[in-house]
Amino acid sequence: MVQTPHSLKTRPLALIVTALIGAVLLGACAGPARLTQPPDSPTGSSPAPNSAPGTSTPSAASPGSPTPVPPPPRQNSLSPATLSLVTQARSLLAHGEFDGASSTLDRALRIEPNNPLLWIELGRLRLAERDPHQAEGCSRKALALASGDPNARRQAGRVLADALRAQGHNQEAREVESQPFMN
Amino acid sequence: MIALWVVHLDGVVTREFQGRHWSVPARVFAAPLELYVGAPVSAGDLEEELHRLHYHSGDPSTGPGVYLRHGDSFDVQARRVRFSDELREPTRVSIRADSGSITELRLAGGAELPVFRLDPPIVGSIFPVHGEDRLVLAPADVPPLLRTGIKLIEDRRFDEHHGVDVVGVLRALWADLRAGRVVQGGSTLTQQLVKNYFLSDEQTIGRKATEAIMALRLEAHYSKEEILVAYLNEVYLGQDGARAIHGFGLASEYYFAKPLAELDVDEMALLIGLVKGPSFYDPRKHPDRARSRRNLVLQELADAHVIDPAAAKRAAANPLALKPPGGGYVPAYLDLVRRHLKRDYAEADLAAAGLAVYTSLDPRAQAAAELALTSNLKRLDTASRARGSHLEGAVIVAEPNSGDVVAVVGGREVGADGFNRALDARRPIGSLVKPAVYLTAIETGRYNAATVIEDAPIELKLGDGSIWAPQNFEHQVYGRVPMARALAESMNLATVRLGLDLGLPQVVETLQRLGLESAPTLNPSLLLGTVEMTPLEVVEVYTSLANGGFRARLRAVHAVLDEQGRPLKSFKVQVEAAAPPSAVYQLDRMLTLVTTRGTGRDAPAHLPRGTVVAGKTGTSSDTRDSWFAGFTGSYVAVVWVGYDDNRVTGLTGAAGALPVWADTLAKLKSTSFQPVAPELIEDRWIGYGDGLETTPGCSADAVMVAVPKDTVLPRKPDCNSSPPAPASDKIKEWFKRLIH
Repeated sequence: MVQTPHSLKTRPLALIVTALIGAVLLGACAGPARLTQPPDSPTGSSPAPNSAPGTSTPSAASPGSPTPVPPPPRQNSLSPATLSLVTQARSLLAHGEFDGASSTLDRALRIEPNNPLLWIELGRLRLAERDPHQAEGCSRKALALASGDPNARRQAGRVLADALRAQGHNQEAREVESQPFMN
Repeated sequence: MIALWVVHLDGVVTREFQGRHWSVPARVFAAPLELYVGAPVSAGDLEEELHRLHYHSGDPSTGPGVYLRHGDSFDVQARRVRFSDELREPTRVSIRADSGSITELRLAGGAELPVFRLDPPIVGSIFPVHGEDRLVLAPADVPPLLRTGIKLIEDRRFDEHHGVDVVGVLRALWADLRAGRVVQGGSTLTQQLVKNYFLSDEQTIGRKATEAIMALRLEAHYSKEEILVAYLNEVYLGQDGARAIHGFGLASEYYFAKPLAELDVDEMALLIGLVKGPSFYDPRKHPDRARSRRNLVLQELADAHVIDPAAAKRAAANPLALKPPGGGYVPAYLDLVRRHLKRDYAEADLAAAGLAVYTSLDPRAQAAAELALTSNLKRLDTASRARGSHLEGAVIVAEPNSGDVVAVVGGREVGADGFNRALDARRPIGSLVKPAVYLTAIETGRYNAATVIEDAPIELKLGDGSIWAPQNFEHQVYGRVPMARALAESMNLATVRLGLDLGLPQVVETLQRLGLESAPTLNPSLLLGTVEMTPLEVVEVYTSLANGGFRARLRAVHAVLDEQGRPLKSFKVQVEAAAPPSAVYQLDRMLTLVTTRGTGRDAPAHLPRGTVVAGKTGTSSDTRDSWFAGFTGSYVAVVWVGYDDNRVTGLTGAAGALPVWADTLAKLKSTSFQPVAPELIEDRWIGYGDGLETTPGCSADAVMVAVPKDTVLPRKPDCNSSPPAPASDKIKEWFKRLIH
């Protein structure tokens, strides 16, 4: 009945820490300079309480409404709550605390699951963690959510191109970079 | 000889007790409630959540776990709590909320707080087969009242004796000899500990001697403090089904749902009294016995001047105030957690190594799903002609973007371990398969929501020579219909023709990209859902649809910490592209027509007015399985209803599963499904019946669909173009939509 915790399959922590520090250094091209700055566009007017940026698009049909209306240009922004979590996640990342940064962004995503800025952030973190495959998934999702927001699309496109390149898909990366939304 | 024996027992005692590790089952925590300005948590919700976490109303300056509500303002002293990524010391916060959301959040000092999470609720533990569950107390966790009280009631001379109370033993022996059997204990705490820790339950004189010698050896090697704390952690204090409640730490949670340090005098007295006979004095089964035993303990505490006689009298007047039984035990969810963790941990570690497991479970969603399932099944049973038989069901709710599973109900006995239908019932999915057919069509670029397809009889010669002639549900034939209507009304003939045109391998490939793990036989009947899936697998597929074409790995566990709170493992959000977002967007918009015009049109009646939902009904052959799978802006959920023995239910997806789905979602604060439109997709009005481009003014049955920009749609005659609306109207309309 008695089990000691020593029988657990613990991960070789030292190895991981070393790898993480290495990743931070090597991941410099993925843009830690950007990561340590405040979010690129957090200054847009705060969204109304309880309206995640991704959910307030007027272009979606509500049954019974008359003519389709062209969507106004969008600018996604972070709410004060998610901004504080993103700031915290960046600071954790800067200290090599990848798991902490990841779970902090998880919290932000629980608050605004449709906000492309958070998926961009998560994509950058995955790049820093040297998980370009997941960085690709996150940045593609950010790109889809950022429809109509040129600034967010450009940022998502950069992460996507980096993620593709990190997987050796240089041709695809160039194609992303030559998309109109990248200019 | 005797000396050798004593030496042997001494070895046993030192060896086992020295390296003692309580077998501490993994503790499972639900997701904490996040508070921030704008969070959809009303003042009422907040107070309910505080009660759920067993915070009580009082003066928050007296200690953690106490809050004060003043109108819509809350002053809360939050407990010391360990999250998966942070250990937070007690924190005093003030929170304001109105009837819908949080409006202000500050630290006690006045500084604004952007975000604050409440305690992650404990939802259970993964205890071993023999059922021992406990929460281990450190010496510092033992309240003085418990320390004094347990000695007073169970072993008054504990601080003086050396493991055996000779006077007590002689008294007991004398009584036993007179009776010719063991009738009296007279055991010290040390002896009771030895008995529980080292020995069997057998009651013989020889065993008594072994116990006494081991108790003496234990006292020779260890301090009174170590022995007392070990005793408090070992002692058996109740039974919860297969789960044995050990130790005061867990007993406090089990009976009162609060930490030991927060117990009042009467609650502590009840626990101390339980030691004598946890089943005889079981406060839930025998409240009168438990109450008089508690009051006896209170009296003794007062007589010994441990507590004030007036306080004892007041406490004795208190009702038992137990936590409602059962509530909150979520076996089906824990089952998912266990399976998730089995990939990384041995069963023995889960049961004994004291891990802390942080999950996505949302207790509010879980409660909503449980209530929706049980109440609807009860209603449907009453309405059913099949007397004496009980419908079964399963519900899974997830957050589509992250893949976080927030609720799992495995059957109508929600609090009981047993067959977990949500994970293990593999049944034909019926028309739930159809969205994969229509998505395959859209992905080819040759079809859109307005494309007219043929709903006409079809006969196929199968590989075995037999003839397959599918029918529509009510045996009608609809003729030429737009795809949007064929899907909304779940037309079998149109879908079979479309699917055969596209190719079975293509449809299966789409299903697999969305999340189907198996490889079904390529039989045309799979287009009508003869493919069998578990509700969990269906959630996987529909999550990809709700998530705009991104497949999110379903996630129950976020992180695992060891007994010391060190992170062992974390599970991250994982998304990958599964289908083109623009194709999925067009399909999803078609699925919103299912719930406004089609087979799912009863859904909105259950939900707040104007909530847009997308979904699909499913009914397997002869109504053996009733399914509904769908999503709002916040959740994706799948419901199955049927009989375990696969009998005919007489229920379509709309009659059986849909009300469960809608009642679940209605209880959750759910936003409308309003995905961001891809840049190359636009909204167009078409006739629901004929698929021709029209305007609401021109056709009564106009519906809005999403199609690729600049798609040429045949126009309804005499309805050439909508009169261009004046710009001011457009702006007005836009504002109106923003507001609603």
